[in-house]
Amino acid sequence: MIALLTGMLATAVLAGGVLALAALGEVLAERVGVTNLGVEGLMALGAVTAVMTVSAVPSPWVGLLAAIMVGALGGLVFAFGAVVMRANQVLCGLATTFMGLGLSTALGHNYAGQPVGTTFGHVSVPLLSSIPVIGPAFFGQNILIIPIYVLLPLAVHFIIFRTRHGLNMRAVGENPAAADAAGIPVMAMRLGYVVLGGAMAGMAGGYLTLTYVPVWSEGMVAGRGWIALALVIFAGYRPVIVTLSALLFGLVTALSFVGQAHNWPIDPAFLNMLPYLGTMAFIIVPVVVWHRMRRIMAAPAALGQPYYRDVR
Amino acid sequence: MATRAFQRLPTAPAGRILALRLAAIVLSLFIIAGVLALSGHSPLMLAELILRSTIGSRFGLEDLALFMCPLLLTGAAVCVCGTIGLWNIGAEGQFYAGAIAATGVALGLHGPAVVLLPLMTIAGIAGGMAWITVPTLARAYAGVNEIITTLLLNFIASLLTYYLTTGPWRDRISGAQVSTQRIPVAIPEMWGIVHWGFPVAIVIVIGLALVLSRTRWGYEIRLGGANPEAARYAGIPVRVRIISVMLLSGGLAGLAGMFEVAGTVHRLQGGMANNFGYLGIVVAVLARGSCLNVIPAALLMALILDSGIVMQTQQLSSSVVLAITGLILFMIAIGDELAHYRPLARTTTGEKTR
Repeated sequence: MIALLTGMLATAVLAGGVLALAALGEVLAERVGVTNLGVEGLMALGAVTAVMTVSAVPSPWVGLLAAIMVGALGGLVFAFGAVVMRANQVLCGLATTFMGLGLSTALGHNYAGQPVGTTFGHVSVPLLSSIPVIGPAFFGQNILIIPIYVLLPLAVHFIIFRTRHGLNMRAVGENPAAADAAGIPVMAMRLGYVVLGGAMAGMAGGYLTLTYVPVWSEGMVAGRGWIALALVIFAGYRPVIVTLSALLFGLVTALSFVGQAHNWPIDPAFLNMLPYLGTMAFIIVPVVVWHRMRRIMAAPAALGQPYYRDVR
Repeated sequence: MATRAFQRLPTAPAGRILALRLAAIVLSLFIIAGVLALSGHSPLMLAELILRSTIGSRFGLEDLALFMCPLLLTGAAVCVCGTIGLWNIGAEGQFYAGAIAATGVALGLHGPAVVLLPLMTIAGIAGGMAWITVPTLARAYAGVNEIITTLLLNFIASLLTYYLTTGPWRDRISGAQVSTQRIPVAIPEMWGIVHWGFPVAIVIVIGLALVLSRTRWGYEIRLGGANPEAARYAGIPVRVRIISVMLLSGGLAGLAGMFEVAGTVHRLQGGMANNFGYLGIVVAVLARGSCLNVIPAALLMALILDSGIVMQTQQLSSSVVLAITGLILFMIAIGDELAHYRPLARTTTGEKTR
């Protein structure tokens, strides 16, 4: 039983980490009022970039860095359309996802199905990794787990809710006209955080192929970008809650793995549906059960709306 | 300080949109040609090959019509949802649900085609509607974002199709992978391999356009999309309209799945939706909320898909088509926004005129 729990949590932490990175990046973009529906495509680009890079330079850090850069570049392309040109955000996001999925498949054609040689190795934090169940999962896997689950979300939380800059960010997402009048550079703010969010989506893709699923195949991102988007809504655009819910989601994914490994009498196809069904339940049930949830977890007021200085 | 020499119009003139869209498509084609040239292909030779094998040959034209048929319906599905201001990103899943329901009828019941085909049609539409029910109710009663919920159901539908075609409904006769056996009935063909679903789809799209532009119901839908508050104030039951439009949208996508099963593929196959649901979004965007425009938009999208077949013969992965579609969609999104701007005449002092 302990072994089962340990294994399940270990998988959950890996699977959840991918979602946590992408979702945290999206929190940044949505807090300044931009919905980036391109996360799925940027993750695919990051995943294939990491695989291609480490096959040339056998260092996981270089691979991750390349994935981050490609994610930022893709985020910049999206931001050029959605922020600089102020085109429809839904369309630009979908277009980014199409381009990312198509390009990554075309680029990764020669790498498909081959195991990735260089990945982030196992790191054991002395003492902490010997805590039963939790230890091996959080302190005995790879070096990025603590940054992903503790450092990044706390840093983002601190910036958004405890600094003047964060207040400005939220102002841009809630009421860009007022923010503009107060002298906050609305477009620069949106551009910067969308690109940063894109970089984190790329990083999530790279983390996926460098730790959790070390092989490139078409469609391997499998909707994780969309689940990350749903998590952002579920978590009410809050960095710490989004990270915790990503871990919860990792557990749902791990459940389907455990089911397959232990030959539960359920077809694997149904077990694989669990993350998607879970996401559906997560974003529908709380709002239905508790109506006030909608106000507490409300989206930034100007989310999805382009800002025109001259139209009032 | 330079004065801003442009004014943003609340609605863009149609002529300007058309011109900027053409520019967007031409620019996309140049970018694609550049990338192809850099990767060692000859864009001109490829273009000639594409023209000859799509609109330049009988087989190409037949394929074009077959690609258009599902795109017309999924495009219309996304388009009607767009009229009331909602995004149905789940046409792919509703397509599968319709295909599954229609196949279920064809494999489970026995009878002549005259009886089976109408039953399959009803099942297909009902399947698509059933698939969008949860997002519909969640949207109408709890305000849950329909983009995410409809999209997540795509993955579930795709997994369900995979389960059925490898499990209970797998092909026990020829042993084909991830496929059911050939279904006993088919929509009759009218021209080569083009089945009667194609003209029916066109008639449906035209009918929808008439309903939306000429009936009270259509007017209420459009008003609900343009200004939900005003619609509510005018006594239109917006919630009921949202439910009916989303169900209609799901039904259309489900019908596309039924046509594909009964007319083109003749079996349920894993991956048979072939991104038709997602491309329906592109078709609807190109149509700019007018159902009649879905016809030329679906034609353009079908042309792109048809040229994808040629690209595959030239050692270009089929995924290139998805990337090209994304690029064109991106350029058109920017073009549509630019169409809102009108250059302002300057006075001698350089002050902008109002």
